[in-house]
Amino acid sequence: MIGITMFFVALVMLLIGFPVAFIFGGVALWFGVYAEGPDMFAFMPFRIQSIMENTVLMAVPLFVFMGIVLQKTRLAEQLLESMGKLFGGVRGGLAISTVLVGALLAASTGVVGASVVAMGLISLPVMLKYNYDKKLACGTICASGTLGQIIPPSIILIILGDVMGIPVGDLFQAAILPGAILIGAYIIYILIYTFLKPEAAPALPMDMDDGTRKQQVYKALKAIIPPLALILVVLGSIFAGIATPTESSALGGVGALFLALVYRQFSWKMVYESAAETVKVTAMVFAILLGATAFSMAFSYTGGEEVVEHYLSNLPGGAMGFLLLSMLAILILGFFIDFVEISFIIVPILLPAAEVLGIAPVWFAILIAMNLQTSFLTPPFGFSLFYLKGVAPPQVRTLDIYKGVVPFILLQIAIVISILLFPEFYGLV
Amino acid sequence: MFLLRLEQTINAFSDWLGKISAVLFVLMLFNVFYDVITRYLFNDVSIAMQEMEWHLFAAMFMLGVPFTLKAGGHVRVDLIYEGLSLKKKAWIDLFGVLTLLFPFCLLVAWYGVDFARESFELGEGSGDPGGLPYRWVIKAVIPFAFFCTFISGVGLMLRAINTLNGHHKSDDYIPTQH
Amino acid sequence: AEKVYTLKLAETWPTNFGVFSEPARRMADLANKMSNGRLEIRIDTANKHKSAFGVFDMVRAGQYDMGHSASYYWKGKVPNTLYFTTMPFGMTATEQYGWFYYGGGMELMQKVYEPFNLMSFPGGNTGVQMGGWFQKEINSVEDLEGLKMRIPGFAGEVLAKLGANPTNIPPGELYTSLERRTIDALEWVGPSMDLRMGFHKIAPYYYTGWHEPGTELQFLVNKRSFDKLPADLQEILTTAMRVAAYDMTIQSYHESGQNWATMKAEFPNVEVKSFPPEVLAALRKANDELLAEHAANDELAKEILDSQAEYMGVVRQWTDIADRAYLNSFE
Ligand code: NA
Ligand code: NA
Repeated sequence: MIGITMFFVALVMLLIGFPVAFIFGGVALWFGVYAEGPDMFAFMPFRIQSIMENTVLMAVPLFVFMGIVLQKTRLAEQLLESMGKLFGGVRGGLAISTVLVGALLAASTGVVGASVVAMGLISLPVMLKYNYDKKLACGTICASGTLGQIIPPSIILIILGDVMGIPVGDLFQAAILPGAILIGAYIIYILIYTFLKPEAAPALPMDMDDGTRKQQVYKALKAIIPPLALILVVLGSIFAGIATPTESSALGGVGALFLALVYRQFSWKMVYESAAETVKVTAMVFAILLGATAFSMAFSYTGGEEVVEHYLSNLPGGAMGFLLLSMLAILILGFFIDFVEISFIIVPILLPAAEVLGIAPVWFAILIAMNLQTSFLTPPFGFSLFYLKGVAPPQVRTLDIYKGVVPFILLQIAIVISILLFPEFYGLV
Repeated sequence: MFLLRLEQTINAFSDWLGKISAVLFVLMLFNVFYDVITRYLFNDVSIAMQEMEWHLFAAMFMLGVPFTLKAGGHVRVDLIYEGLSLKKKAWIDLFGVLTLLFPFCLLVAWYGVDFARESFELGEGSGDPGGLPYRWVIKAVIPFAFFCTFISGVGLMLRAINTLNGHHKSDDYIPTQH
Repeated sequence: AEKVYTLKLAETWPTNFGVFSEPARRMADLANKMSNGRLEIRIDTANKHKSAFGVFDMVRAGQYDMGHSASYYWKGKVPNTLYFTTMPFGMTATEQYGWFYYGGGMELMQKVYEPFNLMSFPGGNTGVQMGGWFQKEINSVEDLEGLKMRIPGFAGEVLAKLGANPTNIPPGELYTSLERRTIDALEWVGPSMDLRMGFHKIAPYYYTGWHEPGTELQFLVNKRSFDKLPADLQEILTTAMRVAAYDMTIQSYHESGQNWATMKAEFPNVEVKSFPPEVLAALRKANDELLAEHAANDELAKEILDSQAEYMGVVRQWTDIADRAYLNSFE
């Protein structure tokens, strides 16, 4: 019960507004020391070292740096504005462009923090500049930033493959269609929303003295090509076998500096300032990870796992009932616990039952992955929400972000249900 | 006035950590870039350089934590916090620093010392061919960074106290900019 | 009621890590039953303690009383721990068990671990491990030149001596890296774990083993925790570890056989190859040179290596005349 109490205390404490990272760490400390004594914290250096040695996480600072350089040189702004203009009179063009850029980033990293933060830096200021509704802007960024979870390469699919004993390649392949449909759903939602509420996402103004439509398109293409080429270099370097997915983000960072040089915006001062801001954002993300590892340590060493295990091993019902209830359980747990914990603690418990009921493992895995992606978005512990808040300008409030993600969470749930009901359509059975 | 001066000194220290971290980041960026280029173009791999990547990465984000605390970059849930007066915010910071941040940082730093010392005593190095020696250096970053975060927390505490004593006006509050 | 002793054990492996997850559980179960419930062993996987390679330190410091891992992981901390797992061109599982229990191996292992307040016991053997997945064929020593391969530890050192490039790749990116040929080859565990990772779908060649002829896992025990147990429980614990290790060894053999058959049936296109004799001779020479360096630098290393060489010199003759001759005597 200590674990459960700890969650609610942390929840209340978060509201007072002290930095999230230290609330996780501090609450874990008091509960951990109360239940097990201070020596439990002798495990902390080991857990911290595992985060330090996790080279996949290097993608976070590297992508953030690329984002900041693109932002400082205004190349990102030009990219999004031009893409937005290409959509011409279509309202929500910027938001759609954000989804597309998010999908591209997702294809090169599996680290959610990396893409949410980079997207927050690149596209939030632009959307705000054009008077987008803050909620729509934030929701779009959080949702597109978490696409990295389902679109391969993806950490969650690798973990699930490992835990469930399914080849990673099979999972990657199976995730492509659901991922694409999710992207499509985001875009359709944005189109409908902006159709119903035009003032939420104004179409970009077309300057009449910019010449003919043809010239405008030409101009737009010219602005799109360099940053888009950069993103393609990142993706291309993975496909050509030049770099691993993580390393490709370093090519992105160096490439951004190269673009700055070409556009005569390069200076060592700019490099240093971008690096300092990168450090600030990265430290924000990793402080949360450090606090969260203390929190999950206190949770599991005080018996929280057993409580969850006990509940889950008693799920009733046939195949459909089991799937529904387990998805519901994962969704609810996702409000509180992060996806790695869920996949490690819960999946092994559910797996034997799923096998007995004859549920196809790949189907089950994709369902879980989709569901866990939602956990990044669900208040109050959705990491994407914290990450975006960490890089958003001060006028964006936590509540804007919370409200903004709700429709996207509903969309994801709808897709999960569709995968549940029509696995044949997704080629999962 | 002593408390104000102390706050400024500690802030300067945190900023200095930020500068080190920024340099470490640039080194890491080019380290990864160099490793990719030499492997692909010259078919040459150095395990030491590959391990240097995560050494730089880890030191960068660990030392960045105290700097970011000073810079106000750690994310807060501001549902309630935002609407509060400067003094109420100061009380919250004071409370949070004393009950959450200090004990957490000090306890982790305390256990981190033993962790690094054992590595030093064993003379631990990489187990892979051509890897980096002196593993204790990067392990020592854990207690060091947590202790620095404690120091930076003292700066935050002093700021709260100085605010409560009327030394800071709301103009002093600079929201994080990225 | 009688006093119940509880020991905490940390595994290097994550939850459900196939046959690797068996020995600790089997040992705990046996110890519990043999002691009539007086000895209880609680197991934490790496998913819980989050520090796969911190097991040595955690058991040493007493945060855990026991560990289940492999000795060669501690080579960076204590170089002489390298020799108690498996060595390239070294003994097979059966030969090595002979060395451990009857050829002086256990005594040498305790000599290495004792200064750290630790005891080490065999923890189950995987048998011969495969040489790894390759994107290109290895037909000559020159083919090793510049070969980018994920192969950690001492075997990587041997390959490096012949011009190959051991490369660090995080496990999560191995699949993509091999598929896109960022690296040319990798070694993972063996058929069952390798098939899970899906390497057979992206690499054409599966090479037979040379570098891990009998990978022995390890039970680590904190000496203080062991000394606190009454004599009968100490005996029960030691016996339970020995039985569990034996059991994993045969289970691993059984499962490898099953998995191999499955792989051959479902993926007939995987080409199984062995390095040509010329390459193996060069590898062996590089291996011997490296070991000679080890022996020259450290007295205890020399004692261990001499003991292994001497034992193998005797027992291999018997393996030749028994197993090898038997297998070669008919098709
Ligand atoms: Na991805
Ligand atoms: Na969550």
